[in-house]
Amino acid sequence: MLEQDRKYEANTPQQTWFAKHRFSIIRHAVINLFMLIILLPLSWVLILSIKSLPDSMRGQFWPRKFDFTHYSYVFENIKTLGGNMTNSILVTGATVLLTTFFAVLAGYALVHLKPWGKTFVFTILLLSLYFPTRVVAIISIYELQDFLGLINVTSGLILPYITLNLAISVLIMRSVFQLVPHEVIESARLDGASVWGTLWFIGLPLARNGLVVVFIVNFVTAWGEFLLASTLINDQEARTMPVVLAAAQGGMGQWAWPRIAAVYIIVVTPGLIAFSFAQKLFFKGLAEGVVKG
Amino acid sequence: MDRGAEIIIPRSVGTAREPKIRQSISAWIFLIPALTFFVCYQVYPIFRIVWISFTDFEFLSTEPANWIGFGNYIEAYNDPLMWKSMGRAALFTVMFLPGTIIFPLILAILVDRVRHPLLATVYRLILLVPALIPSTLVFVLWKWMYNYQIGPINYMLVEVFNIFTYYNAPQWLGGTNLTLPSIAIMEIWWGLGYHAIFFLAGLASIPRDMLEAARLDGANEWRVFWHITLPRLAPIMMILVVLRFGTSMAVIDEYLIFGGFNRGAPTYTWTVYMYDQAFNIGLWRQGFAAAVGMIGAAVMVFFVAGLVYIFRPRG
Repeated sequence: MLEQDRKYEANTPQQTWFAKHRFSIIRHAVINLFMLIILLPLSWVLILSIKSLPDSMRGQFWPRKFDFTHYSYVFENIKTLGGNMTNSILVTGATVLLTTFFAVLAGYALVHLKPWGKTFVFTILLLSLYFPTRVVAIISIYELQDFLGLINVTSGLILPYITLNLAISVLIMRSVFQLVPHEVIESARLDGASVWGTLWFIGLPLARNGLVVVFIVNFVTAWGEFLLASTLINDQEARTMPVVLAAAQGGMGQWAWPRIAAVYIIVVTPGLIAFSFAQKLFFKGLAEGVVKG
Repeated sequence: MDRGAEIIIPRSVGTAREPKIRQSISAWIFLIPALTFFVCYQVYPIFRIVWISFTDFEFLSTEPANWIGFGNYIEAYNDPLMWKSMGRAALFTVMFLPGTIIFPLILAILVDRVRHPLLATVYRLILLVPALIPSTLVFVLWKWMYNYQIGPINYMLVEVFNIFTYYNAPQWLGGTNLTLPSIAIMEIWWGLGYHAIFFLAGLASIPRDMLEAARLDGANEWRVFWHITLPRLAPIMMILVVLRFGTSMAVIDEYLIFGGFNRGAPTYTWTVYMYDQAFNIGLWRQGFAAAVGMIGAAVMVFFVAGLVYIFRPRG
């Protein structure tokens, strides 16, 4: 309870319940207003995706008639959708796994293997966060992908995607591994464990929370990447979901509003579900890796 | 730490005898995968851009590129659109930056006071929801929010509050004057929960007895906030200001999705100008585009460095 509340209570003992809890009530009202603002847009799309077609054109939040068939409809009738979905899953899956793997190796090496030049590597990674590489480098990344024959090749996106969050991932893993005492690592090494075994069996379990953060950060970035995907890919079949959704104009038939909304919900849900499973680890990892690091 | 550690410490001296070079090599093997990608797709492209910016390189042209020195830079410098588009990016930053710091700060201070454990957890979970929506999906979501036909915002303004009719309801996106503020509101919404989480982590690190002691000494809530809470949150605030300044000066996806390539639109910033030159116009004048990009990036880095210097840890 707030200090003011207590003072108020002490001075005027016969206050009504409302006056006594005035500050607490205002506080919760403001918080809930914010929460409403955060949740309303998503809930609106969710409701839109189960509205009947006529209701979707009316503004009311709550429809007169529900229609749950849009979800099956989009997969049956939008021919390219399954392919686009597969593209997104493939590219994001590979990106997340590889980036996390590389970040674990590099973060661990920077802290516990003390390589020559580690300060230099750390400085370069840190500085790269302050340069708009993603925007400026697109010109030469296009050239590079063209040279490698990867224009219009969906899996080719994996290469630039890995680096989108690589620097921050390495830095997060570095600060998480810094919380693992050197003695623990060195004792395992002296007991005869290989460098590899030490990382896998001793270091990684202790760095679990940071791992979850890196995993989620990379998932969210790769799953929603637009700039590279729309620049490097031109064929509708080879596109990933964000580009398809960004280009979709609400209208008639396949692209009727509730149907696009259904596609949207299908795309946005995996991340939210994954997070609800990992939320405890994520919050701990955020505190360890990001805030302190 | 358990007793095992005490036994370990004297033994750890032994590793010093392990050849330094061998250890360094195995460490570099661990670093190589990450650094290879980092060099190929982050470091090399920057150097390549710098090189291209001094040539008349056109991607679709069959002629070899010629070295033209500072030609592109001089042309960009004398190009009113270059500075106009920089100004637009700066205007967006001014609209976006204060809101994305202040609102999460207020929200975090309020949520921090919630003592009910379940409620506190639920609030924190909701806070993180927008951060888990991938970037493009946030833009698509708000493109629909602002839609003049079915969007709930105009529905509220017309049907619920009767401020407008459907004939004069505001057109939020698509290059109108409202487009930049609309995007700023969207971005503030996007960062609201995530930044609040950062501030909550900072608030959790303030010792409770410190606050209690100040209140017992008769400091009111405002003074406690001003003299204890705010200085403790300053480092987190500085990091957010610097990071968000950088991202808001270099926004591109939102502008491409909401504004397109209309040169008169407020969303035609230096990033869009660069992209337009590099991938749309004529034979893709990437030499000039690279110069535009380098100037934009240099101005941005200059201000970021300034902010870092102003906010440097003192004492």
